[in-house]
Amino acid sequence: MPKNIEKIMVIGAGVMGAGIAAQIANAGLPVALLDVVPANNSNRNAIPEKALAQMLKAKPSPLMASSNIRNITPGNIDDDLHLAKDCDLIIEAVVENIEIKKELYLKLEKQRKTESIVTSNTSTIPLSHLVADLPRPLATNFAITHFFNPPRYMRLLELVGGPETNSDALEALTHFCDVKLGKSVVRCKDTPGFIANRIGIYWMESAVRYAIEMGLSVEEADAVVGKPMGIPKTGVFGLMDLVGIDLQPHVQQSMLALLPDNDPYRDIYQASDLLDHMIKTGYTGRKGKGGFYRLNSINGKKIKEVLDLKTMTYRPTVKPELGSIAAGRHGMRALVEHADIGGQYAWRVLSKTLSYSASLVPEIADDVYAIDEAMKNGYAWKWGPFEIIDQLGPQWFANKLRSDQLIIPPLLKAINENTFYTKNIKNQQEFFTANHTYKKISRPNGVLMLSDIKRQTKRINGNPSASIWDIGDAVLCLEFHTKMNSLDTAVFEMMEIAIREVKDKHYQALVIHNEGANFSAGVNLGLALFAANIAAWPEITKSVAQGQKIYKAIKYAPFPVVAAPSGMALGGGCELLLHCDGVQAHAETYTGLVEVGVGLVPAWGGCKELLARWSQYADHPKGPMTAITKVFEIIGTAKIATSALEAKQYLFLTEHDGITMNRNRLLADAKTLALSLVENYSPPEKPVFFLPGESARLALTMVIEDMHRNGKINDHDVTVAQGLAIILSGGNTDIVQSLTEEQILSLERKTILSLVKMPQTLARMEHMLETGKPLRN
Amino acid sequence: MTNVVIAGYARTPFQPAHKGKLTKVRPDDLAALAVKGLIARTSIDPRDIEDLILGCAFPEAEQGFNMARLVVLLAGLPITIAGTTVNRFCGSSMQSIHIAAGAIHMNAGEAFICAGVESMTRVPMTGFNPMPNPVLHGNMPGAYMSMGETAENVGRKYSIDRDEQEKFALKSQQKAASAQADGRLASEIVPVNTNETDIDQDGCLRPETTLEGLADLKLAFDQNGTVTAGTSSPLTDGAAAVLVCSLDYAERNHLNPLARIVSTAVAGCDPETMGLGPIFASRKALERAGIKADALDVIEINEAFATQAIACIRDLNLAEEQINQDGGAIALGHPLGATGARITGKAASILAREGGRFALSTQCIGGGQGIATVMETV
Repeated sequence: MPKNIEKIMVIGAGVMGAGIAAQIANAGLPVALLDVVPANNSNRNAIPEKALAQMLKAKPSPLMASSNIRNITPGNIDDDLHLAKDCDLIIEAVVENIEIKKELYLKLEKQRKTESIVTSNTSTIPLSHLVADLPRPLATNFAITHFFNPPRYMRLLELVGGPETNSDALEALTHFCDVKLGKSVVRCKDTPGFIANRIGIYWMESAVRYAIEMGLSVEEADAVVGKPMGIPKTGVFGLMDLVGIDLQPHVQQSMLALLPDNDPYRDIYQASDLLDHMIKTGYTGRKGKGGFYRLNSINGKKIKEVLDLKTMTYRPTVKPELGSIAAGRHGMRALVEHADIGGQYAWRVLSKTLSYSASLVPEIADDVYAIDEAMKNGYAWKWGPFEIIDQLGPQWFANKLRSDQLIIPPLLKAINENTFYTKNIKNQQEFFTANHTYKKISRPNGVLMLSDIKRQTKRINGNPSASIWDIGDAVLCLEFHTKMNSLDTAVFEMMEIAIREVKDKHYQALVIHNEGANFSAGVNLGLALFAANIAAWPEITKSVAQGQKIYKAIKYAPFPVVAAPSGMALGGGCELLLHCDGVQAHAETYTGLVEVGVGLVPAWGGCKELLARWSQYADHPKGPMTAITKVFEIIGTAKIATSALEAKQYLFLTEHDGITMNRNRLLADAKTLALSLVENYSPPEKPVFFLPGESARLALTMVIEDMHRNGKINDHDVTVAQGLAIILSGGNTDIVQSLTEEQILSLERKTILSLVKMPQTLARMEHMLETGKPLRN
Repeated sequence: MTNVVIAGYARTPFQPAHKGKLTKVRPDDLAALAVKGLIARTSIDPRDIEDLILGCAFPEAEQGFNMARLVVLLAGLPITIAGTTVNRFCGSSMQSIHIAAGAIHMNAGEAFICAGVESMTRVPMTGFNPMPNPVLHGNMPGAYMSMGETAENVGRKYSIDRDEQEKFALKSQQKAASAQADGRLASEIVPVNTNETDIDQDGCLRPETTLEGLADLKLAFDQNGTVTAGTSSPLTDGAAAVLVCSLDYAERNHLNPLARIVSTAVAGCDPETMGLGPIFASRKALERAGIKADALDVIEINEAFATQAIACIRDLNLAEEQINQDGGAIALGHPLGATGARITGKAASILAREGGRFALSTQCIGGGQGIATVMETV
């Protein structure tokens, strides 16, 4: 077991330092955040305190719950460096100046305990320069932990050790960053830009240069290098706007200063008058007056504009119409083989970037897997460079390079007609290494990937919407695989089968999990809308009842059921969580009962379960109305918890539910949770409700009418909210009368069936399907 | 008949609910601080106090049990002092003064602490468990009407446009700001110590208010109405307390009586225009005092909303320069249960400070009521 890191200090409260401190706070660990004492300010902690204030305002938030800020103690280097004596890890994130950094390390050396680990978040200074002539105890406990911005959301952490760094320290850091901070740790060599920036900066440089040289518009370039290449839709120009155009020259200069003389970056790099001009005139991107894009307000309307690179003036964006973009949907080769300017551009950028990547093995990494992981987690690419080469076909790629009279890197020659990734006889995935052999992808302890299980085992059962897998230790896993993992009849059928399989075949527990971007976006709205449009009311009635029945079956199954969500768990997806015995949630899980956004109410037991939770929640004021009012507010305003921690505040998750920081560890943790519930398991008791009926409905109606009067909600919102009020007040009941959960479920059914027949609700559903946004009709 | 006097007034700072500096202070603690501060300032022997009468509009949760008795104990007062919590919504602590005055008149005690408190942060308006009677609501929806809506009704009935309301609100802010700057508020405030810092200033005031700024605010209650947050009193946390005793007792014990209570009144009115309550209550109280409105030198009328304050001032024909001289609730805040003690203690204090003969304190009450107190210089 690696050494535990429990107390941390971050020095430097700039964007990166503050973001790193926030993520440590998100892990529930105490962290001191220090910066220099500002000149001309009586408050010696003004800089970190300002950073904390900024954290509470920033969107997307660096904090998973605003209360996490309490884990951060602001301080300054002059007065508080002594706090280092209790810290197991000190992360330096000060300005990129080697003298300043080294001076700080020497000061730190007098304060820290000898076994503590010191790391730098530098992205431009080699470790060898940083540790040169440092005292030995420090050098052996020194490493680079290179986080990506923003540290909460970017999964990559590049870890660089030096020849002197002891392996225990690296192991402790790896464990800490992986398990506690949820990062994908990639061990890097001490080379300029490490892995992700080395390739990423080259890619940006070539994408910008060729776009300008070949005369593509900004939108065209971004549309080609974005989605078709599996790169976020910001593309390259949008990305530069996001990170700040003024950063570009610094990055370029630091690369030029450090890279080997014969590095291909030197050929692709070109000093840019365009960038210089933009920076000088304050067009530094989103943080400045604008960048390659800007939002312009014309007559109160926000219009997205783009910089015309030929005239250097802004004009409204135009959706690019290039055949190559459409062709790209059929694969990467179709994109680069397309004859139009987009295809040619794609080829130039890709051929350069992929060849460069291949040429860097073993200089920056010993294998292709590390490079692909770094690009996927650090630049949010869907595929790494070698996965892209595999898609193109390595031999095809080499041949095309040859015919274009471009250099073929030795690694590409070595792979010949094989691929960089392959499966061994056990169906385990292997990757190509620098010494031209294949090596199995090994998962760290505590990592269980459904994709590995799927590759290696036969599914127990399945249909086009969902599958059942055996994940070992007599636990089954139910996987959804519809679009957005939405819920349809076939998913429900597979839920029923999963329950039967566990019972009949003596499995111990069921875990509901998938590796999609989203656990589940809820009901398949398209199918529901279709059914409503053809007035298939009996079918809709049936599917509402079916959902209620199957969710109840999950709740009262004679074995533990644990859900393991990541990404969105909305609507019916969130209702499913509410019916499980336990939830092991990825920290980045977004939960909410958002049905009112499409003019509906939760009707698969979501109202009932959340009401039961709030009624039993000890830390809430007592009385017949308090739970009702709270649930009315949460569902009525479609509150979304933007982290698992926040979901606990809404009781979408309970205090017993677990949170996993690293997504790759989610399934293993969920399985452990499920197994922990097996001994002496008995299904939960059925809740009994005492609800006030008409007087509660009236109290809620008065709130609804007030909101309507002041224009916060419209006529149809009133109808939907009144429907919700009927459910939550218990219908025609009295406070002394008990209600069963079936009675609440029946109110849910009645309400949703009346709403789904209304044209305003149908319009909302349609609008959501078309635009992904709620309609305010 | 026994003369009854106000012989002391103190309050905690008033701070905005949810975002002010008293959000983390329990209301019972807040009330105990105001009471302790009052006793210290008047130097009354606490053993002489008959009863602590505490007003509160939503007496539940932390404001629940019989909070008055608990405040006696929290304040470390002799256990011989009794405690009763009274509720007349916004008129609660003025009612506690009326109860004490009546008791003194019938020789049921000589000295009373009459206090009021509301933490609108910690116990929401309408309470945690609003359960209106559907039959009553069906017959008379106004019984449960939201206060903002009643303010709009009064505005419509009296044709008080937004501009007039904003001028009134601006004036309230200006008067409060100058009172704060001159220390006229500090003299009545008992500091509250939280997190090792003393909170000794009111927090609701917006001295930077301008007519332009007010005109930019969104409508708060009705998109076809005129009332904004700027022309309404803010949700507030705070407590206030006055010492009510017989003149005889005050003289024997060398207390400093601020004003004599001449008459009191309560009155019911249409719930849908509850803001007009002061008209009916003040008319009765003035008549009982045997004076006309033009005899008043000091007037404290609670500014629940600008519309209702303007309507009452217009209807009662009150003189502008005598009204809310140190600012009203639009600027200072309106912790429901505490306001009656504040404005009555304030009216008595101004009478003592500025001279003159008669003072009136009056306020409207949700559900359709008014309450009023007429005082005379001692």
